[in-house]
This record gives sequence, structure tokens and C-alpha cells, in this order.
Amino acid sequence: MGCKTSREIGGMGHPIKRKEDARFIQGKGKYVDDIKLPGMLYLDIVRSPYAYAKIKNINIDKAMAIPGVLAVITGKDLEKYNLHWMPTLMSDTQMVLPTDTVMYQSQEVAAVIATSRYVAADGVEAVEVDYEPMKPIMRPKKALEPDAPVLRSDKEGKKDNLIWHWETGDRDGTEKVFQNADVVVKEQIYIPRIHVVSIETCGCVADFDKVEGKLTLYMTTQAPHAIRTVLALVAGHVGLSEEKIRVISPDIGGGFGGKVPVYPGYVCAVAASVLIGQPVKWIEDRTENLQADSFARDYDMTCELAANKNGKIQALRIKTLADHGYTDAAANPSKFPAGMFSICTGSYDFDTAFTEMDAAYTNKPPGGVAYRCSFRVTEAAHAIERMVDRLALEIGKDPAQLRMENFIKKDQFPYQSALGWEYDSGDYHRALEKAMDIIGYDDLRKEQAEKRKNGELMGIGICSFTEIVGAGPSKDFDILGIKMFDSCEIRVHPTGKAIARFGTKSQGQGHETTYAQIIAEELGIPAQHIQVEEGDTDTAPYGLGTYASRSTPTAGAAAAKAARKLRKKARKIAAHLLEVSEEDLEWEPGKFSVKGAPEKAKTIQEIVFASYTNHPQGMEAGFEATHYYDPPNLTFPFGSYICVVDIDRSTGEIKIRRFIAVDDCGNIINPMIVEGQIHGGLTQGLAPAMYEELIYDDEGNILNGSLMDYLVPTAVESPKWETAKTITPSPHHPIGAKGVGESPTVGAPPAIANAIIDALSHLGVQHMDIPITPYKVWKVLNEKGAALEV
Amino acid sequence: MKTTIEKTFEVEHPIDQVWAFLSNPEKIATCVPGATLTEKVDDQTYKGLVSMKFGPVAVKYNGEISIKELNQEDYNMVLSGRGLDSKGKGSADMVMNGKLKAKEGGGTEVFNSMEVSVTGMLAQFGSRLITDVSEQMIKQFVSNFKDKLNISGQTEDPSEKKDNSIDGVSLMGAVVKSKIDGLFKGNKEAGNDKDASES
Repeated sequence: MGCKTSREIGGMGHPIKRKEDARFIQGKGKYVDDIKLPGMLYLDIVRSPYAYAKIKNINIDKAMAIPGVLAVITGKDLEKYNLHWMPTLMSDTQMVLPTDTVMYQSQEVAAVIATSRYVAADGVEAVEVDYEPMKPIMRPKKALEPDAPVLRSDKEGKKDNLIWHWETGDRDGTEKVFQNADVVVKEQIYIPRIHVVSIETCGCVADFDKVEGKLTLYMTTQAPHAIRTVLALVAGHVGLSEEKIRVISPDIGGGFGGKVPVYPGYVCAVAASVLIGQPVKWIEDRTENLQADSFARDYDMTCELAANKNGKIQALRIKTLADHGYTDAAANPSKFPAGMFSICTGSYDFDTAFTEMDAAYTNKPPGGVAYRCSFRVTEAAHAIERMVDRLALEIGKDPAQLRMENFIKKDQFPYQSALGWEYDSGDYHRALEKAMDIIGYDDLRKEQAEKRKNGELMGIGICSFTEIVGAGPSKDFDILGIKMFDSCEIRVHPTGKAIARFGTKSQGQGHETTYAQIIAEELGIPAQHIQVEEGDTDTAPYGLGTYASRSTPTAGAAAAKAARKLRKKARKIAAHLLEVSEEDLEWEPGKFSVKGAPEKAKTIQEIVFASYTNHPQGMEAGFEATHYYDPPNLTFPFGSYICVVDIDRSTGEIKIRRFIAVDDCGNIINPMIVEGQIHGGLTQGLAPAMYEELIYDDEGNILNGSLMDYLVPTAVESPKWETAKTITPSPHHPIGAKGVGESPTVGAPPAIANAIIDALSHLGVQHMDIPITPYKVWKVLNEKGAALEV
Repeated sequence: MKTTIEKTFEVEHPIDQVWAFLSNPEKIATCVPGATLTEKVDDQTYKGLVSMKFGPVAVKYNGEISIKELNQEDYNMVLSGRGLDSKGKGSADMVMNGKLKAKEGGGTEVFNSMEVSVTGMLAQFGSRLITDVSEQMIKQFVSNFKDKLNISGQTEDPSEKKDNSIDGVSLMGAVVKSKIDGLFKGNKEAGNDKDASES
């Protein structure tokens, strides 16, 4: 895409350096733990060692005797104010602190408030809790057995552990196709429970001013406005009124969905500050973050794909068992308990499909957050991309060929999917062709055949995913009733410099740069003179925050729309200044000129100055606009990834030799930021493919609850990522952009898994669950008699 | 998480003397590193305490030991114990099986197995080391057993208290050392053989 604006203006398409990096790379970012207020106290949390236990007694005497410990808050204390339970974003209920039962290991049991972080930790150590352990239910299948004990006995009339059943598509029509299909393939695919492991853990500083009755809450949240409203709804009855709540989300060190939910620690800090009247800081440590904060994934999917003998795919059926832990604390839009899982038909032209899901309570921590994916899209993409490879193996067709034959064609867009989505635009053939060209697909297949003759293991894996992002249109999308629009407010100062505020919140995405570029594109004010501000609910317009790749599709669109309102005003002022009619004016980035007389022109800076100094009579003075953007549809980014692996037959070690990611996210705002997003996302896709999984034993213990055992890949493990792009603009988005942050996290795991399984397929391997570790491969090699003795 | 450790060793004492020692909870408990009996509930049931320090985690299990099987005919006994940490950091369950076999020419072969299952902080933080620590524990148990058996043979005072608490530092040191030795020797037993612990 050529740039419409000059380098000086720095509108869309310019790879300008990130404005925020000046502070980040110098260690000058201001994160929540950098906030220090006079008289600030510290909160630390007593956590349950049991996955399921009755609390018989909590003895706080020894803790209170420690000099510097000011208070210990228990569930019984919160019960007095009816604050011991809170709603989740999915309208389930969650304990703030328990009064009688703990439901998962590491659950918050009591909060200790002290004059220093160290004293608070000593206080935690001194709190004595008398538990009566019970046998936990750790597997969703067990939880749904008819005689399973009911975990949520707090819910009146609850007779089982089923949270909800959800289904969509044509059950009977799909069954009919399956009955008559030439080929049916079926696999059990498990996507394990993983964690976002953002570099910064969660935390807050709650500062309640007793005189003003105002709460200022500095908090690691991706959705500050929603938090303010939730606080007002939950704690309204104890006097927290929405105008007296200010949520400030400072710099955030990674969110990835994990900083959307409200954790008990936040509420305890607020309660403590209100109670004591002093600021209270709570910052999780790494282990607490990993063990108690919202997990992601944990879907056990039974997938079936029907096709004719030529490989024309006909129907898809997926039945999923979802483990939500002890409460449904996912952060999906209200009407979508399984998020956007129904994107599982992927990039393929299906006649019919059906998917259903049972969500179960277990004694695991709650969650189901959209870890760098737009609400369960990662699970959906993994299912379909594995199944397409599985079909290719079954009928002996090349997986690239099979994909090409079944892709939705370019001229079918806008495309109505079998499960009800209207895909906005796409060109799947071009993306896969490009990936195949870059990596030299045909030569790789020849090489693979040669290597197999020599007993060497090499695999090629493809993933051609379709994402669904930008939630979302208000007719279907809300969280706790609040519609999922987003907003931008632009205020241009007399000298032509601007501040723009948004309802979203960057956690590393580079909003301060990209939003400025969108406004620069529309108004011609240089991006470097547009200051972007987010995260302060006292100043920013209302919006639902940043997750699910929604910032560009919603707030980015709002920026363009607000800027266009200003350009309209600018045209009027220019006409007034140049004494011509509006129709006689021509816009080029940064100025209006008279048609046919380009020397008669007014720059945007002159026009803005006039709006304060010489505005036309009858026109409002000043140069400000606000827009709340309600998207007409979601956007559907896509891409084709190809991964090449070599496997060591003696150790099972997997080496990713090459990985090409061809992404199409529509029009690009800043190619350098897109590239950076893709690199990061691919590494976070590598993580579950080969390393990460939260493992629980049957007693409810987390067996890898620290970074000693939970393997997060670093630069050392990451291969050299190769990237390329195609551009298929979104037809309904004001700037044709689609969102990119999550595509690579969605697309990388199936590409890697498919490559590894491809390397082993001639040995009879049809499927392996992620993470595919060297140990798993080594075991398979031994089972198949293909291992080399060291 | 669960770990099972088995150990067979020999003592030179006659089988009936060894059995008299093994089958008496008051005697055998003193061999368990860090354990003390605090109360006899009845002939089959005792209350007791086990203290352990495990890296950053210090636990004091307060619990009950009961005799599940005591069969002199084939010299077989099963003890089970269950303890909760007094500060609420977790629990431990243990099933110990002791079996004796008379050796030709005197002496006794002692087979001992312990199935230990822990929940809570020890399981969370110590899962990778629990097998090694349990092995160290059983080594100490064996050495205590032998010592006390000798003493009981001589002085008739088996419950005499030597230093019987687990020294966390030395125990950890022993684990680390055995791991390091294992690395250099390529010794699978001392290395982190994951199959040894089922989870």
C-alpha cells in the first residue's frame, strides 16, 4: 500500500518508531508498582493449599500481634457488607474471600494489610487456617458424571456441575451429511490449560479519600471503564458511586486477556482502603499470578469432518467439553458463552456444520480468558486446521492441495458461513500461494521424500486460519449489558497540536503511535504532534477496552470517524477563510486548496488556529470531536503459515527449521508495529504448541505452579520468524483495517503441530495433542520402533 | 501428588526380634525422620507430629497413625498415617508397608515401602524434588531403624531419643549431592527419573 501522507505527517503505512518506546527502553515506563503514595499500606494474601476444603476456623491473633500488621480481612468480615461474593463477567458468581469453603488451590482465603510488603508477608505466614480437606473434582468428565458431588452447592437448586450447554448450527442436517459421506475422519483434540504469563503480574493501588468520598484505583486493567461500572454496581450499596470512582490504568506490561477479569485481590485492596482510609497496594508475585489468575483454553474437543472421496469437505461437527474451574469467569460477550468458537469452519466452504459444548465446574481456578485470541478462536482454528490435515492424511492428498480445493473463493465474499458469520473479505488462495512460494513448498516435499528414504524425520505443516475480531456490533455484543462500541475524543489545540483520548488501553500494542497515525492520515496533523491518552476514566471517553484484537476495529475506526467530523468542520472554516464555497475546495493531507488554484490554500494548522481566533459567526468555536463507533460487522483477518521441522530420532528433539507467516490484516497502519506484533504472537503460539501446559494432579495440586516448571519459551527457543503479507481491506471498516495482534497466536500452534505430525505420519501417527514435547515424540518413536539408540 | 519409594535391606538380628520392633508403632515411629508420637488413642491408633523443612516451606504435620494390618504369620504390617499442617499449608498421607523374611544362616531381610501423597505447598513447590527427598527420608529411616534395633537388642530402651528431627539443610544438601553424583555417574536412580513418581 502506498502512503497517502508524507513522512512528516506520518499517516497510515509509515513505519514510524513507537512513541512509547522512548520511555519503555529507558526503564521510564510508569507501571502500577511504580506508584507510591504517602501513607501507602501493603496487602498480601493468604491462599489455600487445598483444591477443595471446608474452612473450620481462621485464627488471626498471631498475625495481628506482629508489629506493623494493621488488619486481616476474611470472608466473614466482607460478609457483613455483602461483599464476600461478586459477579463474574459471565454473570456467574465468584468469591472475593470465602466464608466456609475453598474451591481451588491457591484461592484467596484472607488478606493481610501492613505497613510494609515484608510485614504483610510475615502476617500471611502467621495466619492460621484450620481446613477440612475434601476430595476435589479435577476432570470435567468426572464432574459431569451423574453421581458427581455438586461443587456449587452455594447455588440454590443446583443439582449438577454443568454450567451451560451451548450449541449452534444444523444438528440434523449435519448428521445426514455424515451418514452419507464417503470419508469421515474423527479425532479427540485437547487444548490444554495455559496461562498468559504477562511479564507484569496483576496489581493495584486503591486510594480512598474519606473526605471526598472518592476512590482512585490504579489498576492493571485492560478495560478501565468497564471496571469502574462494575465497581459501582457491586459496591454501590456501600457508598461507591460511579462519579466518585476513578480508575487509572497506567502502563501495562502485557495483558493478553489476563487483565480483563476482576480478581479478588483488587476488591480486597479497595475494601481495605475504604475501611482504613489510607492507600493500599496489592501486587501479585509470579507464583500467585500463575496459580490463581485466569487461565486460558482447556477445551477437550471431539472433532469430525465429512468429505467426499475427492476430498471436497462437506460437514464439520465438534463436541467440546470445557473446563471452567469453579466459576465461569471468562470474559466473553454475554451472548457468546463459548466466545467466537463458531468460527471453527475456518477458511473452508462448508455446506453445513454443527457444534455443541458443555461447560463444567471443577476444582480448578476460574477463567477461560481469551489469551491473545478473540474469544476461543485459537481453539476453533486448532480444531479445523488439525482436522483438514487429518483428512489429507486419510485420503492421501497433499494438505496444501486439499486446502486450495476447499477454500472459500475470493468472489464468494461477503461470505455467509454455515455457523452464521458474515466474513467481510478474504483471499485465502493468494495467502497460501505466497507462503508456499516463499518457503519453496514443492522442493520441501521432494526433500522430505528423500529424507524418509534415508530414515530421517522432516515435516511440513500448514495452517490457513481465519480470525474473527473487533467485537463488536451492538446488536449482538455486550459485556454485562454494556454494548461493545469504542470511542475516541480528539481535541486540537490552537497551534494545531492535538490530544486524543480513547476508551481502549494499550498493554504494549503501540496505541500512542498507531492512533496518532490514523488521525494524521485523516487530518494531516503530523503524528508526532498528536498525543494519545488512554486509561483514565476521569478523562477518557467510555469504551470497553483492549482485548480480542478490537482496538483498531473499534477505537481505531472511532478515531477516523472523529477526525472526519473535524475535517468537515475544517472545510467550512477553510471556505470561510478563502471566501469560496465548500464545494470549491479540494483536500490533500494537511490542507484545503481551491480547485484549479492550488496556491490559494489553508493548512490544517491555519484552519485550527482560526477556529479559536476567527471562526465563522454562528459556528461553534474550538476544534474538538468525539465519536462512539459501533461496528456494523466484525472483521476477519486471515493468514497462511508454513512450518518446517526436523526431528532427532534419538532424542525426539524438534527443531523448527523455518517458519513463514503470511498475514492479511487489511490495510496496515504501521508496518513495523504489525511486524512486531506478529513476531510476539508467533512466539506465544510456539509456547502452547511445544512448551506450556498447566498440570494438575487428582488431589488438586498444580504440579508446575512456578516458572521453574512452567516452560515459557524465550528468544533462545524461538526460531527465526519469517513474515510476509497480503492486503485485503475490510470493506466496512472506515480505514479498511482488520486487527492483527492475535492472528499469529491463533495460527502458529496448528502449523507447528501439523509439521511435527507430518514428520511422523508415515510411521502411523495421525494426531498428537499439544504441547508436543521432545519426550512425547521420543515416546512415539519408541512405540513405533523408529527411535535411534543413542 | 504421589510418590512410592521401596527399599529392601538386611539386618543381622533374628526375625522375631525385628518383628517385635517393626510391629510396635511406638518404636517404629521414632525411626521416621522428624516424627514423634504424642498420644496413644488405642492399640491401633496413635497421634503424632512430623516436622519437615523443605527449601522455603516448613511444614508440621499433625495427624494420626493407625495400624491397618499386623500379621505375624507372614511378618507383614501396614501402617497408614494422615496429617494436616498445623498452619494450613497442606496435608500428607502415607501408607507404609513393612515385610520381613528370615535369611538363611540368621539375620532378616526387611522390605519397606512408603507411598506418600502430599497436597498443598509441598506439592506445589517441591514436586520435582519430592522423590529425592523421600528417598533421603527412607535412607535415614533405615539408618535409624538399624541403630535403634541395635540399641533395643542391648538396652531394652528403644524409645531413647537421639536427634530425630529432620534437618532441612542437611536433607536438602543430601538431595542435591545425590543429584549431582547422579549427573556425573549417569546414574538413573539418582537422576531425576520421572517415572518413579506418579502424579
